[in-house]
Amino acid sequence: MILRGVVTLVYAFLLLPMLVVVIAAFNSGTFFTFPPQGFSLRWFANFFARREFMQALRLSTELALWTAALSTLAGTLAAIALVRGRFRGRAAMNAFVTSPLLLPQILTGVALLQFFTLLKLQQTYWALLIGHVVVTTPYVVRTVSATLTHFDLALEEAAQSLGAGPVRAFLEITLGVIKPGVVAGAIFAFAISFDNFTLSLFLTSSRLTPLPIELFAYLKYSFDPTAAAVSALAIGVALLVILGIARFVGLAEFTGF
Amino acid sequence: MTARARLLLLLPFTALLGGFFVVPLALMALISVSRESFGELPTSLTLHHYARFFSDAYYLGVLWETLALGAVVTAAALVLGYPLAYHLARTRSRAKPLLLVAVLSPLLVGIVVRCYGWMILLADRGLINGTLIERGWLAAPLPLMYNRFGVAVALVHVFLPFMVLSLTGVLKRLDPHVLEAAMTLGASPARTFLEITLPLSLPGILAGSLLVFSLAISSFVVPVLLGGFKVQVLPMIVYEQVLSVFDWPFGAANAFVLLVISIALIAVYIRVTERALRGIV
Repeated sequence: MILRGVVTLVYAFLLLPMLVVVIAAFNSGTFFTFPPQGFSLRWFANFFARREFMQALRLSTELALWTAALSTLAGTLAAIALVRGRFRGRAAMNAFVTSPLLLPQILTGVALLQFFTLLKLQQTYWALLIGHVVVTTPYVVRTVSATLTHFDLALEEAAQSLGAGPVRAFLEITLGVIKPGVVAGAIFAFAISFDNFTLSLFLTSSRLTPLPIELFAYLKYSFDPTAAAVSALAIGVALLVILGIARFVGLAEFTGF
Repeated sequence: MTARARLLLLLPFTALLGGFFVVPLALMALISVSRESFGELPTSLTLHHYARFFSDAYYLGVLWETLALGAVVTAAALVLGYPLAYHLARTRSRAKPLLLVAVLSPLLVGIVVRCYGWMILLADRGLINGTLIERGWLAAPLPLMYNRFGVAVALVHVFLPFMVLSLTGVLKRLDPHVLEAAMTLGASPARTFLEITLPLSLPGILAGSLLVFSLAISSFVVPVLLGGFKVQVLPMIVYEQVLSVFDWPFGAANAFVLLVISIALIAVYIRVTERALRGIV
């Protein structure tokens, strides 16, 4: 069938660049032609030997962990208020809370750079962390809202009528039910922060460079497959994230299918 | 839930957004009408920077190039994304979760990594050119990168998942009975598609196109890496003015032009998706 042929080609188009990166990372040649020249781990060795990449990797991981923790907390609280509360202006509040998702990040980046410069906080860890929390929290709000919408309030009421206080009912019942959404949100926030480029570009300095920025700087001047090793590592992280989401929420629910 | 509890729950994130999203954007707007050049609060206001942007042929050319590139990318993403979304919405295959992963995975791989994948493929000594030349099928490399073509290909790749997701949402809710009815009444598959499926999926087409267009015109990494500074787009001007030239007011004015375009697109997008949801559910 024609449809099937076209669909297969489009899937190939989607996956090809990532496949190529992974093969190039394990390919021994400097320039990648087909067929591959031979298996080698030299580009990974080069990656692990370079201090700037190692520092960037550590910074990105630490930053993503802090971002995930803070945005999961703030996002979960906001999602509970948005789904459970029936109040005027809820739609507007919903739009406001997810607005950082819709605005191009280059604009958020410029605005934050100018703002932090006036506060004399530019190029600090705090500026970077706050920026990342602003852009990742809306994802948490979405994933938690998705699981909360299906939650049966009667469960919490049952717990309360059996003598549990509202706080205990929430901690033991509600939190248990929405846990998949919270975990998925945290995973997603970690991934978005770990991969973020555009926002970080405006908030970094030469002493404070996350991995995507370091990779970008490297790519501007050299083309050797060390960059492929870095990229293959990032693709590995992305695969773990997808597995995590599939495990805790189910991909279909997560994307709204 | 009491109003107080709700307020307490919403407070952390709304306070953060107010302080570190709304105020900075308002500040940017203020800087764009300021006479002072760098890092000072304005004392007198001017529209000079906007006048400069809209009276200079160079900047208007960049704006035009940005919008044209966005239109081409959107059209290509629609053409590639529609069959994929159609298939994904209707398939009963057991591989469906896997197909979904294939659509989503590019979203979770960083944009720099995806650009690098295209650089490996499209460079003069990249996979395509290198292989063709090595085999003697080609004398000189094809110009696949550091031009509009390379930028457009990578942009389509980066934003295609958004198009597919927008389309699948609408296509999945199409009632199969309507299609069967049309077929029973003697319509050919082509006619059923053109007269039923396509018009009913129009909200998804519009929503996906608006989303892809607004993402494409504000992309910075792709034009830099795949265009090699030979393709100038508005986000690059913003970046240069703010971080290299340090002309903050002009940079802010450029950013604000981009902001107005995206807010207009987002407003239409929200209206379209809301109407689509109301019409079908």
